[in-house]
Amino acid sequence: MKKLLIYIGAVTTMVAASCTKDFDKINTNPTQASSDNFDPNLLLPRAEVDYVSTIQGYSGALLFQSMWAQVFANAEYPTYYSNGDKYIASGNYTTYTASIWNNAYQAASKAKEIQNLIVEKGMTATNLSSVAFIVQLLNLELVTDIYGDCPYSQALQAKTDNVAFPVYDKQSDIYPAMLNSLDSVISTLNASGDKITNDIIYKGDIEKWKKFGYSLMLRMAMRLTKVDAATAQKYAEKAYAGGAFSSVADNAFVAFDNANGFTNANSSALQVPEDFSQVRWSKPLMDFLKANGDPRVSVIAEIPMNGTANNNNKSLDGDHTFAKQIGMPNGYDQNGGATDISKAAGYPGVSPADPAITGDAPFAVGLYSRPTAALYTRNLSTPGFILTYAETELLFAEAAVRGWSVGDAATHYHNGLSAALQSYGTLNSAGAIPAADAEAYANAAPLNTSSTTASLTQINMQFWATTGTLFNFIEAWNNWRRSGYPALTPVNYPGTGGFSNGQIPRREVYPSSEASNNGENYNAAVSTIGKDEVITRMWWDKE
Amino acid sequence: MKKYPPPQLFILLLVFLFSSLKIFAQTRPLTGVVKDSANQPLVAATVSVKGSNVSTTTAADGSFTLAVPSGNITLEVTYVGYNPVTVPVSPDQADVSVMMQAGSNTISDVVVTALGIRKDERKLGYSISTVKGDQLTKARETNVALSLSGQVAGLKVTGTSGGPGGTARILLRGMPSMNSGGSPLFVINGVPMDNSNRGSAGEWGGADAGDGIGNINPDDIETMTVLKGQAASALYGARASNGVILITTKTGSKGTANIEYNLNYVTDKPIDYTDYQYEYGQGQNGEKPLTAAAALGTNRLGWGAPLDGSQVIGYDGNQYAYNPYHNNFTNFYRNGYTLTNTLSVSGGGDNGSYRVSASGLNNDNVTLNSGISRKTVNLNLNQNVTKKLNVSVIANYIDQQDRNREYLSDGPGNPNNFQFLASNVNNEIFKPGANPDGSEIVFSDDNYVTNPWFVVNNWINNTGRKRLIGSLSAKYNFTDWIYAMARVGYDHENDDYKNVTPTGTSYSYNSAGQSGSISQSNAQTTELNLDGIVGINHSITHNISFNATLGANLRKNDFQSIGVSGGPFVIPYLYTPGNVVSFGRSYGETHREVHSAYYSVEFSYRDLLTLSTTGRYDAFSTLYNSGIPKEDRNIFTPSVSGSFVFSQLLNSSILSFGKLRASYAQTSGEPANAYQTAVYYSVGNSINGTPTGSFSSTLPNLFLKPFTKTEYEVGADLKFFNNRLGADIAWYTQETRNEIMNGSLSASTGYTSRVVANGSVQNKGLEVALTGTPVKGRNFTWDISLNYTHVQNKILKTDEAGNNVGLGTYRPLNANTAFVVGLPGPQILAHDFTYNDKGQVLVDASGLPIQNTALTPMGGVLPTNYGGLNNSFTYKNFNLSFLIDYNYGNKILSATSYYSIYRGLNKLTLIGRQDGITTGYDDNGNANTVAASAQAYYQRLATISKINVLDGDYIKLRQVTLSYTLSEEMLKKVPVIRTVQLSLVGRNLFYFMKNSENIDPEAGFNASINYAGIEGTSLPSTRTFGINVNIKFKN
Repeated sequence: MKKLLIYIGAVTTMVAASCTKDFDKINTNPTQASSDNFDPNLLLPRAEVDYVSTIQGYSGALLFQSMWAQVFANAEYPTYYSNGDKYIASGNYTTYTASIWNNAYQAASKAKEIQNLIVEKGMTATNLSSVAFIVQLLNLELVTDIYGDCPYSQALQAKTDNVAFPVYDKQSDIYPAMLNSLDSVISTLNASGDKITNDIIYKGDIEKWKKFGYSLMLRMAMRLTKVDAATAQKYAEKAYAGGAFSSVADNAFVAFDNANGFTNANSSALQVPEDFSQVRWSKPLMDFLKANGDPRVSVIAEIPMNGTANNNNKSLDGDHTFAKQIGMPNGYDQNGGATDISKAAGYPGVSPADPAITGDAPFAVGLYSRPTAALYTRNLSTPGFILTYAETELLFAEAAVRGWSVGDAATHYHNGLSAALQSYGTLNSAGAIPAADAEAYANAAPLNTSSTTASLTQINMQFWATTGTLFNFIEAWNNWRRSGYPALTPVNYPGTGGFSNGQIPRREVYPSSEASNNGENYNAAVSTIGKDEVITRMWWDKE
Repeated sequence: MKKYPPPQLFILLLVFLFSSLKIFAQTRPLTGVVKDSANQPLVAATVSVKGSNVSTTTAADGSFTLAVPSGNITLEVTYVGYNPVTVPVSPDQADVSVMMQAGSNTISDVVVTALGIRKDERKLGYSISTVKGDQLTKARETNVALSLSGQVAGLKVTGTSGGPGGTARILLRGMPSMNSGGSPLFVINGVPMDNSNRGSAGEWGGADAGDGIGNINPDDIETMTVLKGQAASALYGARASNGVILITTKTGSKGTANIEYNLNYVTDKPIDYTDYQYEYGQGQNGEKPLTAAAALGTNRLGWGAPLDGSQVIGYDGNQYAYNPYHNNFTNFYRNGYTLTNTLSVSGGGDNGSYRVSASGLNNDNVTLNSGISRKTVNLNLNQNVTKKLNVSVIANYIDQQDRNREYLSDGPGNPNNFQFLASNVNNEIFKPGANPDGSEIVFSDDNYVTNPWFVVNNWINNTGRKRLIGSLSAKYNFTDWIYAMARVGYDHENDDYKNVTPTGTSYSYNSAGQSGSISQSNAQTTELNLDGIVGINHSITHNISFNATLGANLRKNDFQSIGVSGGPFVIPYLYTPGNVVSFGRSYGETHREVHSAYYSVEFSYRDLLTLSTTGRYDAFSTLYNSGIPKEDRNIFTPSVSGSFVFSQLLNSSILSFGKLRASYAQTSGEPANAYQTAVYYSVGNSINGTPTGSFSSTLPNLFLKPFTKTEYEVGADLKFFNNRLGADIAWYTQETRNEIMNGSLSASTGYTSRVVANGSVQNKGLEVALTGTPVKGRNFTWDISLNYTHVQNKILKTDEAGNNVGLGTYRPLNANTAFVVGLPGPQILAHDFTYNDKGQVLVDASGLPIQNTALTPMGGVLPTNYGGLNNSFTYKNFNLSFLIDYNYGNKILSATSYYSIYRGLNKLTLIGRQDGITTGYDDNGNANTVAASAQAYYQRLATISKINVLDGDYIKLRQVTLSYTLSEEMLKKVPVIRTVQLSLVGRNLFYFMKNSENIDPEAGFNASINYAGIEGTSLPSTRTFGINVNIKFKN
């Protein structure tokens, strides 16, 4: 009896407890890699493409900055574009305003993990580590430019240092730290060093990454012109001496691949019927380009064919005639009241119904210029720009105007303008402007050196028009906040849900989740900046 | 047997204690045996001498020996589930043979406990409840779990507003832990079955794809036994922490074949709980739309002019009457129906029994082209292969196909978007949903708000499941008191998913005019359980019986899925993954194992005192491959319980039965998912030929341990007046430690969430079940039962910093639910008004109230007091019964409230339409003098989410059944048919009381704990009426 019990007891206990030796293997994910067999190079394309996706589409840029900076206009209310055109919370405002924070930190985390893995695996991969760090900075710069004070010194350290609640650093500390780190990291790049295998921006060309690093340094430096001109000058000159972009071939962009799920978020958003049919170039933008007789007008803009059906037909090209192009003023709707677009000054009238289409209706905003479908929206693999030669040249031009040792202002301006015109061809052949034509136009429209103000106006207007029409809306808005150009008239749309008190927003509010996920540090940050509002100015954006 | 070691000291002590109560007299020995009508011995039957305290219980072979007084005596024999027997014994009779008949007139019941072990309920040291199958089948729910609502103290069952194929939220004793959906473990005939949710809607939309228990055909269920406390379920170890519900399916019994047919037909009538304003129509700022574009933008905005019967332009440019339109609800939703046919054959011989059933269910849901078809086959075989070896086979095969499961909440493809049309807009003007060219007729300012007509006519969201739950077990009786059992249980699910965003869907067009997308996948889920058990039932002395079980369990869970997706379609309307411009794929595979050993030991002193203890040792694969020492990954968890039937000592004429019970138990648990103890990297699609890699945004935890749950429970089971009145009371307190869950992180950490293992939650509760028979006559009987549950939940710990753990939200996104330390979970966090120093509502320069940016706790979403009242009246062959259930103490976060206020539909928004609203104070306490327009005011008000937190209390008439039985007697002369029972049934009939305006307080779009108490834009609730016909045939 006893023996039987003991025997059975022993057997069952052994069965249960003894064969856990397979358990480590059973609890190893069979569909994924571990750090042992994973190549950190694979994370680089993700960090790169995620950055570009973050500055595109509904993650913020299209809904907010494209219209806050009055590059686009949208005469509807309510729609999710009311956030941008009319500063009225609509659609899922709270989600939109958290997007850049969440997406940019996660893109930065991918880049940080490259560095973590290099250390963990004991690899010698200085170039890969440095490029990863530059991509990380690119993302963190985006966060601080959008929100102001944010975690930097303790950011991205949950895995390595168990930092679950990072403190928010002041932007006035973040910028010098970023510039300092960037400077030392660029110096470690070595074209004869380790190879980077999965880079989708420069295919591992270290010389180009060096140029990119200095170009980014220049952009960061120039952010500080209002608040710390000395630092701005120091790093702008360092960037010039180090060697920034030197031709449009250096432009940093990501070529999307829609068939594999990598989609240009601006293009795909603008393919949504409501967006396609209603988003228009703004009046300030078209007025500026037309006043200069800019050849880009007929490239970037088109008037849809008559009537509603043709307007909504995404495969139908519009009319590119220079003289016909008209930008739409911001702040209107189509609700029939006092703010109806038909009441706007210079309203071109309705686009008449196409008699060839049965049941077609007139279209209220059909005679305003829209972004050329063939250039921007039709192809979901349209490349997305990160930083261009045109931008760096325009920034150098301003630095030169300010008297810093970065070369000649007029030359930089000329190069910038010519490069700008030559950049649209990267998006699509529909945007190609021959180099000779670009040069000819740049020669005919030299920098106005009559006064510093005249020069700065011209440079920064050009910067706004160039970044805006290359669909880098955030940069257009950043530079507007920094430089004050163009002088925009805020929209003051009647009604409710306004989040900016009738002023053009100067930042985005922190994600509401920060209050619960990192409450103590968030509260400290809010009390430092005063009010967590869109009209609160950040450090580099002082009045 | 004589070689047994002496019983443990405490047993001796107890024997000594209680033996002193015995009456000592002149005695003689009497032996005997107690058997049932099938000549099987009855174990632990009580044999007593009438008029004395002399009694004993029978041994495993049914035998007993008793020292009885000299002279003529009468023996009384009682056994649970059997009619009591009295046997006269003459002075010279040395042994007796007693035969007992199964019956219902019993003191107590045999109940199924953990591992399928049948026990006398009066011996249990913990609380369990049993629901009989016939309580689930008449006024049935497609998901049988919902039928338990209001029936069991301590159990709370809530459905989703996702149609009859939806998931049930089943909570035993409140929210049992933070990290799980809370669902108890379902065990069907000893085989743990998968009850995981196959997909659900979040704030961004999605569809509820149902759960596991919803597959089971209620006609096959004999009983459902709810093991509430940890002591009751402790033998299930790791999976017992949420409680256990045991399902026992029907079996055959000895005799010729019984053929039974059941038909159930019910119709589901959608209920409109809204009471909106019909005075102002579509428009903005008091004006009706003037252009077609403005009409399109305001189809869902009721801020227009007074409805005066004038003409108004529509979204299509046509003119319509500016009049109230009341039929949007009935125009769009239809009456659903469910027809269930079940045929079963059962029987048995001397050495075995069988039952086979086949069932078919067909359902049309309240939205067009949506419904369920379910076929089940159930087989139950039991055979004594030899005298000592018994083999049983149970197989349950299910084929369930769900057509067009509805998308809920705020996302594309939701068919419920007409719920927020302005009061003059007739949804039929958006029919049929598609233009002649096939493109969607967009009906609002937002392309992602899909036209519901287009959804029901064009969208596809089908799920299919083929499932086999089977077990094979063999039991070998070495002797009459020791047995060994081996069992293989297997649950295999083969799931198919197909969802199509069809050609023509507005937001999906690309520039080439192509549109739509498809996602198709297949998943295989299996659970294998191997159990080996050795059991001993033995009487140590005549008064003390001993019962022990020793077992081991090996559990394997495997999951594999593969899917393809893509879009838009190259050839329109050809919905296959090959026909797409760009494609994606998905692949998933997880494996997990648990190895366990357990014991259970029970000592009983007569029917008076029972002490039992269990223990279980678990090793979880999910905790391996980690950074902690092995001894911390495996865990032993014990339980102790005892019962004391004190009424035995009282001999009271009022108290017919009285038991006190107490227990202590600990159970353990593992992470909800495998592979959370290490960092992994994945390879994704290539971009222009360059491979890419990524990793999860959830940070794993390298230091996970099993979590534990500890519970103390005391209770009493009392029966009065010959069992005419009964009370079962339980009080418990339970606490979890080291709970493993996902905690949100700020994205600035590099991750958006992490696995934390610090959680702790406490539940304290009181459960009372009263049963009574106020009237019991020859022709008329009235039975009543009332249950009451009180639960007090408290979150003790979240992560190391005590941060809130964010859970669910609704799409206006101005409030959410969260676990908040010190408060019941989940707690609604919402924005309040901003007040000045004097506590007055502060308004801004435009006269609009200001949202306080802080989120304030507004109450828990789970009820604190709930239960049900069941009445059953039997008059001759008629039976009328009804169930009322009630629910108090919870709050609801209502998106319906938000939208109805924001969109000017709520009656609240009628105030100030003409003159605006002047309210509130400034910083200095001066009354505001600026009038805000009604639209401006209420659209601001809607964002002060406190206003959208509603009270969830209700009292509901849950169920009514009226049955008439044609008895065997009455049908004597009728051929073929033996008995017929006809029932008229109604379910979810109406609320006697509710406090939530415009919504059903039970509404919700997701059954998980994360979204408990959050509702909006989901299917309407339904009221169910129908008939049930049960026919038993002659053989």
